[in-house]
Amino acid sequence: MRVYRDDQKFLNFRINAVMWGVVAIFVFLAGSFWFVQGVQAEKYRGLSESNALREIVMPAKRGLIMDRYGKILADNQPAYSLAIDRVTMTPIVKSDPAHRPKLIQFLAQVLQLTPADLEARIEKEKEKAVNPTHPLIIAEDLSMPQVAEVQAHNLTFPELAVNPVQRRNYPYATMSAHVLGFIGEVNERDIAAHKELRQGDLIGKRGVELMYDKWLRGRDGAQYWEYDSHGRRLEEVTSARKEAVSGDNVYLTLDFELQRRAEQYFIENEFVGSAVALDPRNGEVLAMVSSPAFNPNVYSKRFTTQAYKEIQSNPFKIELNRSIQGLYSPGSVFKTVMAVAGLAEGAIGPGTTFDCGGSGVFFGRRFRCWQKNGHGAVSVERALKVSCDIFFYNTGARLGVDRISQWAKDLGFGNITQIDLDGEKAGIVPSTAWAATKQHRKWYPSETISVSIGQGPLIVTPLQVAVMMGSIANGGTVYRPHVVRFIEHANPDNTVQRYKVATQALHHLKIPTDVAGHVHNGLWKVVNEEGGTASNARITGLNVAGKTGTVQVIAQHGWFSTAGLPFMSRDHAWFASYAPNDNPQMVVVVFVEHAGAHGGTDSAPLAKLLYEARFQQQLENARLDLSNPETLQAIKEGEAPQPGQVPKAPAQPAGAEIGH
Amino acid sequence: MSRVMRDRAFLSLDFNFLGTALVIAATGCLLIYSATYFTDPNLGIFHRQLLWIAIGIALMFLFAFVDYHVFFDIAPILYGIGNVMLLYLLLWGRVTAHVKSWIHIGGFQFQPAEFMKVFTALMLARFFDSNDRAYLNLRSFIIAMAIIGLPVLLIFVQPDLGTAASFAPLIGVSMFFGGIRWRVWAIMLVTVFVVLPIGYFKVLHPYQRERVMIFLNPERDPLGSGYQVTQAKIAIGSGGIHGKGFKQGTQAKLAFLPARHTDFIFAVLGEEWGFIGVIIVLALYLFLIVQALTFAKNARDRGGTFLSICLIAFFIFHVLINVSMQIGVLPTTGIPLPLISYGGSSTMMFFMAIGLLLNVDKRRFVNA
Repeated sequence: MRVYRDDQKFLNFRINAVMWGVVAIFVFLAGSFWFVQGVQAEKYRGLSESNALREIVMPAKRGLIMDRYGKILADNQPAYSLAIDRVTMTPIVKSDPAHRPKLIQFLAQVLQLTPADLEARIEKEKEKAVNPTHPLIIAEDLSMPQVAEVQAHNLTFPELAVNPVQRRNYPYATMSAHVLGFIGEVNERDIAAHKELRQGDLIGKRGVELMYDKWLRGRDGAQYWEYDSHGRRLEEVTSARKEAVSGDNVYLTLDFELQRRAEQYFIENEFVGSAVALDPRNGEVLAMVSSPAFNPNVYSKRFTTQAYKEIQSNPFKIELNRSIQGLYSPGSVFKTVMAVAGLAEGAIGPGTTFDCGGSGVFFGRRFRCWQKNGHGAVSVERALKVSCDIFFYNTGARLGVDRISQWAKDLGFGNITQIDLDGEKAGIVPSTAWAATKQHRKWYPSETISVSIGQGPLIVTPLQVAVMMGSIANGGTVYRPHVVRFIEHANPDNTVQRYKVATQALHHLKIPTDVAGHVHNGLWKVVNEEGGTASNARITGLNVAGKTGTVQVIAQHGWFSTAGLPFMSRDHAWFASYAPNDNPQMVVVVFVEHAGAHGGTDSAPLAKLLYEARFQQQLENARLDLSNPETLQAIKEGEAPQPGQVPKAPAQPAGAEIGH
Repeated sequence: MSRVMRDRAFLSLDFNFLGTALVIAATGCLLIYSATYFTDPNLGIFHRQLLWIAIGIALMFLFAFVDYHVFFDIAPILYGIGNVMLLYLLLWGRVTAHVKSWIHIGGFQFQPAEFMKVFTALMLARFFDSNDRAYLNLRSFIIAMAIIGLPVLLIFVQPDLGTAASFAPLIGVSMFFGGIRWRVWAIMLVTVFVVLPIGYFKVLHPYQRERVMIFLNPERDPLGSGYQVTQAKIAIGSGGIHGKGFKQGTQAKLAFLPARHTDFIFAVLGEEWGFIGVIIVLALYLFLIVQALTFAKNARDRGGTFLSICLIAFFIFHVLINVSMQIGVLPTTGIPLPLISYGGSSTMMFFMAIGLLLNVDKRRFVNA
């Protein structure tokens, strides 16, 4: 055992001395840090910002949008934007007060803007910028002379930067605009929702651009450059560099040719309305038109233009995608649902007839048939063919509103179709429960009679009508409609991966085959028999089936045509159809607002045009030899492009090759 | 092995001291993560530091539970091995960044000089354990200086000036606590004033002279060699009182700050955690130092007292030099911040030192 020695006191004294010495030095160091971090913090913060490394964003190329065969509907074009680098500008303005007025004058002259407009732009961009060192974008789409002019004055105005950018371009302007949608500058909500977004980014705002933004957007790259406090670029921190990753290409289900014909039809006739063509076998939308359409090229501009103001002030609400957002009474088109429901529920049989004398009394009220002279005794097939109101009044009275409502809902009404587009409306399918919960009132049985011919509170979108027609055509399967066929992702090793949008059956209805058969026959007669309401859609060599509809816009007492009335008072015209009747491959729904004429007159011809385009090959074969059973078989089977059998993607878009 | 304490007295460890050391090491991990995740997205540096700390903690328990007198017994062997390794480096070492200070074994590399700090401290404490005069006579003084001088010389010629200088606290401890007379002090001072200028102009490498010049005027060439200090000051100053927040430091993240996960990690602390973070970490170190000095006072024997003082002297020296150089109070040298800077050898060395300090404290009572 050791014993503490005399010098313990000596050691303790010195240990204490060291301890207090250390405490003193720590206090001194704490004071030094206070000086740097407390007193001089502002100075160093400024140095940190200007000396900091700057991030130079290398924008990713947004994915292309193509039709089902690879026709490009949205691509990117190289363009130049003009930015003011505030980090460079601040010291110059500080040392030369006359610099800023000179700059404004120069820019006003180059950009053809008044100095006041220019100042307003700068102020607005400043407000938007979160980071005070973020460059201000003050003009885009510079012309080559403008670029040259700015670059010639590079020494006088070193803060001006001409940045090469990729501008979204829709080569066919208004074509399929509502499906494609448009892109626009991110707002605060977008940035809050998606952390990777930055001020000034352009993202999808509507349509496919919005719904598939995640795939289309790609990932911006960045370079990090060290700058000294004089704004001189030193060197790149290559280890931090991030390469830009291009967005994925999106192939739509749209068929360019059908889309083009449909839009042209509306434009040539100056019609307002909608058309939807879809494949009843899988829900692929082959054409979707909403007319009039906007030009999506206008939206991707940062600065409000005259063209944008015109879109906003257009009386026809041209931003509205009428196919999924327009809510209309289905009119007589709804008789298809009534026929299916009546037969399937046993309320009527295939042989049941009602006598139409031009009008009838139901629940104490007189209801008229559109044919004031009456149709005589009508069965269900003939009732569809001639669109007899009295027959369906009776059917409706037998079914009651709740059974009608159930069938309508099962066929896709009253709920969104879940299409891959934004802003879809659900519409209304009335029932006693609906009256009680939504309207806080009792349902009057007489209202059922109006609903039986597609009037009353019942409202639907053209796409819902197409889905309904599709499921009746295919025997009862309600498919989820979709506008994107597949997404093409390029792997880093240059291989391509495809993500197909799956065919999704929302539910299967139990429609007995004989019921479907009678309805199909009735719909076939509408087009193909003398006296049918849609003989305008008849095509030699192709069995088109369909149902017309005319919707009164103003209350109508008695029988008269609205053709001569002012535009907003005229009737709407529907035509919902599919073909070929025995092997349906395409559904076409056409809706013309305020056409003034019967559905068969204004809407059916477009359906005919689309069927002719779609079945061109078979029709040509049929004209060659209609008596040949093989030819007929070919017509029946069609030569629809099978899912999964994908056309070769086009080579690089022209825009991508004009590099810098 | 009679002196090996095979007790179960884990609870007799000073948990305030141990806990403080672990908190400091954890803080270091956060800072290393923040400093490197951006340029090292795979987090290799961060994960390696976690490994070093795990090994360090294991070493700490080894050095805490085996009686320190056993280490005194084997001190000459450890000291000898350390010197042989340093010699090996001089003869066959690879040159990394101007100096030969790394031994490469397989994929790993380590700096024997760091471990040599602990071995030399053990050797010195062993010497003072048996030398119980109030003042050192000339012979004892020369022996003490020789014990320190041999490894310092071997490191100095690598040439790793910073590490060689980090043995200075041992000289201070020998003189201040060993006790020397005023005549010897005078001789030392004269020697220093003669040796310093000669050393500066004849022995120092140009890059080392440059460092001293920059120390005298860091703003002389802001983008040249003074860059480190300037950048560190900008990082620290821009942190302000509250700091920019975890992972938010731009100076450090954007690689302005060289050696930001090693020698200049404290600047990352200053930038991201602000003055508040700086004060907290300094307070943790101060607690560690004061507590270790208390261990020294209460040690059971003269050897324990000297061992505690030698080891904590390393902490004091490293912390003061490293923190001072962050804001240009002292010149830039390659002195890591104990338990915080990235580095396998230094992390292990400081954990070993913590273990020995706990060891001395644990055995302060004769019958413990």
